[in-house]
This record gives sequence, C-alpha cells and structure tokens, in this order.
Amino acid sequence: MLRTLALILAGGDSPALSTLTAERTEAAVPFGGKFKIVDFTLSNCVNSGIYNVGVLTQYRPRSLHVHLGVGRPWDLDRAQGGLRLLHPSPTPDGGGWQHGTADAVRYNRDFVEEHAVDAVLLLAGDHIYKMDYTPLLELHQERGADVTMAVHSVSPHDVRRYGIVSVGSDGRVDRFIEKPRRSTSSLASMGIYVFRKQYLLDLLAKNDDADFGRHILPKIVGKANTYAYNFQGYWADVGTVQAFYEANMALLAETPALDLYDPEWVIHTTSADRPGVQVGSGARVENSLLSDGCQVHGSVVRSVLSPGVYVSPGAVVRDSVIFGDAWIGPDAVIERCIVDEDVKIGAGALLGDGEDNTPNHGAPDRLNTGLTLVGIHAQIPDGAHIGRNVAIRPRTTESAFGKGNCVKSGSTV
Amino acid sequence: MRVVAMIMAGGEGTRLSVLSEKRAKPSVPFAGKFRIIDFTLSNCVNSGIFDVAVLTQYRPHSLNDHIAIGKPWDLDRARGGVQLLQPYQGRNDESWYRGTSDAIYQNLNFIRERRADLVLILSGDHIYKMDYGAIVATHLRNQSDLTVGVMPVPLDETDRFGIMTTDESNRIVEFTEKPKGRDKGNLASMGIYVFTADALIARLSEGSDDKPRIDFGKNVIPAMVAEDRVFAHHFSGYWVDVGTIQSYWETSMQLLDPSLDFDLFDKEWVIRTRSEERPPVKVGPQARVSQSIVCNGCSIRGTVERSVLSPGVYVSPGAIVRDSVVMNDTWIGPGAVLDRVIVDKQVVVGAGARLGFGDDLTVPNVREPDKLNTGISVIGKSAHIPSGISIGRNVVINADRDTEDFPGGDVASGETI
Repeated sequence: MLRTLALILAGGDSPALSTLTAERTEAAVPFGGKFKIVDFTLSNCVNSGIYNVGVLTQYRPRSLHVHLGVGRPWDLDRAQGGLRLLHPSPTPDGGGWQHGTADAVRYNRDFVEEHAVDAVLLLAGDHIYKMDYTPLLELHQERGADVTMAVHSVSPHDVRRYGIVSVGSDGRVDRFIEKPRRSTSSLASMGIYVFRKQYLLDLLAKNDDADFGRHILPKIVGKANTYAYNFQGYWADVGTVQAFYEANMALLAETPALDLYDPEWVIHTTSADRPGVQVGSGARVENSLLSDGCQVHGSVVRSVLSPGVYVSPGAVVRDSVIFGDAWIGPDAVIERCIVDEDVKIGAGALLGDGEDNTPNHGAPDRLNTGLTLVGIHAQIPDGAHIGRNVAIRPRTTESAFGKGNCVKSGSTV
Repeated sequence: MRVVAMIMAGGEGTRLSVLSEKRAKPSVPFAGKFRIIDFTLSNCVNSGIFDVAVLTQYRPHSLNDHIAIGKPWDLDRARGGVQLLQPYQGRNDESWYRGTSDAIYQNLNFIRERRADLVLILSGDHIYKMDYGAIVATHLRNQSDLTVGVMPVPLDETDRFGIMTTDESNRIVEFTEKPKGRDKGNLASMGIYVFTADALIARLSEGSDDKPRIDFGKNVIPAMVAEDRVFAHHFSGYWVDVGTIQSYWETSMQLLDPSLDFDLFDKEWVIRTRSEERPPVKVGPQARVSQSIVCNGCSIRGTVERSVLSPGVYVSPGAIVRDSVVMNDTWIGPGAVLDRVIVDKQVVVGAGARLGFGDDLTVPNVREPDKLNTGISVIGKSAHIPSGISIGRNVVINADRDTEDFPGGDVASGETI
C-alpha cells in the first residue's frame, strides 16, 4: 500500500451546532453515548493501517486535546509516526491564524514535507462513518492520480450543503461545484481527499487559496489527474443540530446502519473508569443506549445517554440525547432535548415542553425542528418550564431564569 | 517512608468451583466489569502506594493478561510500578510457593531492591475500599514490628477466621487460627499486614524444619505475637471475602441494594480496571431492566431483574435473567430462563433452556455438598447449553461442555456435568 500520512482537519468553528460547539470544536462533541465525533475518523485510520496521523486544531481545541492525549486508545502512542496535534502559533505581527482547510495544511507544509510518504490523506474530523481507506488509496495508486476524492450520493435537496462532483465513465472527475443551489449530479464530495504528496506541496506553494472545497478543487478539476472513489457505506455529516440528533437516534434502530458492535471494525475511544450501568428497582428503560457509569432510577425511553448520567426517581427522559455526567432531578421531564455535559436539571423541571414550535429567534434557520439545547454546565432551576427550539447557553446559572422560571419556545437564555 | 505492597494472588481458590478452575481467584470477574483484584490494586494506588508486587502461582495467565504493565492503575512507571512475581528456579534450590509467607520469603530480594521500610501484605481476593495510609499510621504510632488489620465478625463465624485477642493498648496478645471455641473474642484478621521490613526479613529468614515459616497465619504471626511488638488496626467499613460461591453470589446481589455502604460510583475512590473497548449498553424496545448492573457492550432485548451483567452479554427477546451473575460475552437465547445462576464467560445458552429450574433449592450438589447447597447453579466458561433443556439447582456445569455432554437432556438438581 501507499505510504500515507493522514491529516484530520478539526480546526473549524461549526456555528450550526449552536451551544454544542460553544466551548469545543465539533470533533470533540460526544456522539452515540461514549464516543466523540473524531473517534470515527481516527478509528478508520488505524483500522485501515494508517498509523501516521496529524490532527489540525484551531477553534476551542482544549477538549479535543484532552480526549486525544498521546493517542493511546488508538494505539497511536508510537515511537515512529503516531499522533501529532498541530496547532497554530502566532507570527511576530500577531497573525498566524488559519483561514480554511488549505490554509491549515499550507501552514503545516514542513510537517508534510518531512514525512517520507507517497500520499497525504485529508480527512474531516466531523463525520460519522466507518470506512476502510485502503481501496481509496489503491484506486489512487492504480490510476496514478494527483488527487482522488471520496464521493457519496446524497439526496437531491441536500446538494446545497456539499461540494457536488460529476464523474465520467472512467471515474475521472469532470466538474466540482461547491454548494450549488441545484445540480444534475447528486454525488457529494465527502471531504476526503488523497493527494500525491509532491503535487499537494507544489499546489499549496503556487497559490494562497484558503479552502480546498471552495477554492482549490473547483480550479484543479479538469487540469489535474482527478479521480472519484464512490463510497457506498453509512456516512453522516452531523454538522447541523437536526442531523446530529437524527444520527444519534438512528443508532436505536433494531439493526442500525452504523453498527457499533462490529468486532472487525472497533471504534476506539478513551474509556473512562466507570462502573457498569446501575438500573434501579423502579426504573424503566426502553429502546435506549446507556453508557457505563450511568445510574437510572427513573424512566428512559428512546434516548442516548453518555457515561455518568444520573436519572432520579420519577424523572422521564424521552427522545433525547444526554451527554456525560448530567444530573436529572426527581420528576423532571425531558423531551426532544440535547443536554450537554455536567448540566444539572432541577426537580420537576419540564424541558421541551408544550406544542409551541416557534423557531429559535436568534437562529431560526438552525433551531427550528422542535429540539431544545442545554449548554455545558448549565443549571436549570427546580420546576422550570422550558419550551421547544430553546437554546440555554453554557454555564447559565439558575438566577438567569428570573421569576416564574418559564422559558417560551424559541427563546435563548 | 517507603512502603511496598505485596498482593497474594497465587492461591488455588477451590471454593469458587468452576469459576476459578481456569483462572486464579483474584482474576474472577466481579460487579460487572471489574476483577476481584481491582479493589486491592485500586486501594494501593488510591492510598499513594505505587510500589506493588503481585505474587502469582495458580493459573496466572488470565491475571497476567489483566494486570500486564499496570496501565489502568498508573502502575506502568519508570521507577516502582507493578511487578508480577512467579515462582522461579534457582541454582541451589527450586520450589513452588508453599504458603503465603514462603512466597514472600522467596522474593525477599524484591523488598531489598525496592529499599522498602515497610511491607504491606495484602490479599487479592477481598472486596473493600481502604486507605492503607491509616494502617501505616497506626503501625508507626505504635512502633510496631507488625500491625494486623482486624474487624469484628459475628461470634458464630469466628471459626472461619484468624481471631486476635488484644489488650487495652490494642497490642495483640493471642492469635488463634480458626478457633473452635467462642472464648477468643470476635476480632478477625482481614489478611492485611504491615511489617517493618527488617523484622519481616529477620523472621522469614529464621525458618527451619522445626521452625517453619510457610504461612503467615499458621507460623509467622503466632511466633511474632510471642516475641515482637504486634498491634491491631481496626477497620470499620464494608469488607467481604468473596472466596466462596455463596459469598460471591450474595455480595454481587448486595451491590444492587442502594442502601449498601459500598459505592462503586464514588469519585473520590475510583475502582480502576482494564476497560474493554465496548459501545454503550443497548436496551431494546421490548426489554425490561430493573435493579441490575449492566455493562458496556451488552445488548438487552429480554428481561433482566436483580442481576449483574458483565460487558458484552446478549439477552435475546423473551429471555429472562433473574437473581443471576452473567459474565462477559455470554449469549442467552430466545425464551431462555436463568434463575439464581452464575454464568462464566462466553457461555451459550440455547433457546428455551431453563437454568436454575425447580422450586426445591435444598438438594445439595452431590460432589461439593458443602459449597453448593443454597440453590445456586454455576456454569463454566465457554459451555454450550443445548436448547430447551432444564438444569436444576445446585448444579455445576464444567467449562467447555457441549451438546454431547448432555445425553439425557435435562440435568437434575445437585448434578455435575
């Protein structure tokens, strides 16, 4: 196989994820209970035999850095190769920030140059999928390509979210349009590119375009030797609140499209030291994922719980995603919510309450499907009434709710 | 003050029946994802002791795998850390460990090399949380040669323990191993000893044929009570020896009781273990789970009540698991019923099989009547239970048994397969 260096681009802000990415980069957002989004891409790397991985960070990287550590869960704590965290550092004039994916790779040219590899595999840190990169790299090698991009078909009304490519009968990419309003092709670029190393270095030296998808690929398609690799498996870009929620809920299906229990393709992650899930005598658990360290004494229905969540007696959690160490008070009812880490929900509080589906006033285009978000470390007072499409900012304290503790649908606290 | 801990993990543990047939007792799974030795190892590092030896002898493979370089306990260190001490051959002599103190005697060089001032001797098969700093402090305060961790036990159980008689200064004046009479008091040795290293080395080195130094309880402690400063350290928390099937099962069930004074979720005293990489527990739409511990990697589509499930257990639709302990990666077929059974790893329970069947719990196991007589049946590792058969109470199914070992189908109470 080609000697390959993988670069995971995990530095961008993801405003569409609202409070979930207020204090962390998207790659470090919990997913499917005990995982973080980046685990899927990292596990794909090592499961494909790629042990040379750089993770490029910029936006709020602390939580990601803590999670990755020296790369031990992925066996990336190696003497040769292994995991490298690549973070920007300031130039004397105060610059040095990266302005896009290409800019980020350009900034780390030296790192790429000093690796004796044939190919550079560029990956996004915010996709949920299981993919063996070997066939992609083989295709790249067979065709002697300059660039090979992985593509996946998407539904036609979704083309505006992706870079859309048209592919000729020989697998060559004819056209690349970033986020078109309409398109005859529905093959989306997955943001996974294999570059011939020298071609990439020359390309980045020649121009100062900031972004692969927006600037570079549309330009080079047609000129360079560019091929597409059609990936057929499960792939989800969880870059919106609704997509993130749906991908979590999809794990609850009888036979989910994304099988987390496959011993041949383990998703590796940092497992915290937590005892097994404790289910109390009065508890009810139905169609849910529970992670180690959870204590359930109330009712949990169609929900995904990360490690260490405490559900008090009488509490009801329904159709929700709850992140680690959240504490849910007695008789609280949570419906269609995404509750972040270390949140405390007071006794008898109602979240996602009522039928009023007014979109969030601050972000009507992002929070409009009835989901309510509670940011990290927020404290919801006892007996609060919180409607739908509400965003509670991180670290909100009880005093922010004012008298009555009533938050109407569509508000932001 | 340099303290090294030495954990005795070499004993055969016959009283745990098939659970310790293929592994040493300290590596028997417990409370879902833990092994018994995790509690002692975690106590060491939580007490700030990072010099630890684990003495192994009987079937150490599983234990070696589990401990390996000690990473989960932060015992993979450049200085100190964990060391596994197996019996070895020397040029002039060779022998298996003949007893607890003989095992230490054969490894006195470990104590010397780590330049220990105090040696903490521990047992690898107890479930408890204890800050060893306290017993070390007692030891130093009394300027003892030996301090023994003790706790009161019910007077009618004193014949299972080494019983200490103390004076008003807590100095031990008499030590009786498993006394038949009830006149020695009820302070039992927990098998936790702090020795001043020099005293330990001196006492173990003076062994001879007429003055054997093979076992702490039988030889060393009685000799030291007579000649050295030996004190008791009182412990008053939750402590159990899970060395029998009965106590193993009872202790597992106690963990499900929220009022138990033993919190696995205590963030100030984390019990560490080698966590397997498993996805979260999946509870299906028709499943029912109550009063149970279930671990990552389990898929539950049937009913689980008052049970402890280790990682990766699969409970099929219609199956019922009740009052049972089920270890890693066991598969329970559709409609199977488990009642009061301990099922080892990788067992396959066929569809519709009934384990722990029948209302009479009192027919003891024919081969091991003293160990299995309260209705608990035990299934050994990797056994395959054929579909549709019934297995009674107090039954032992040995490891690796398969369909051809069940020619008659059903297994009556008290049988061993």
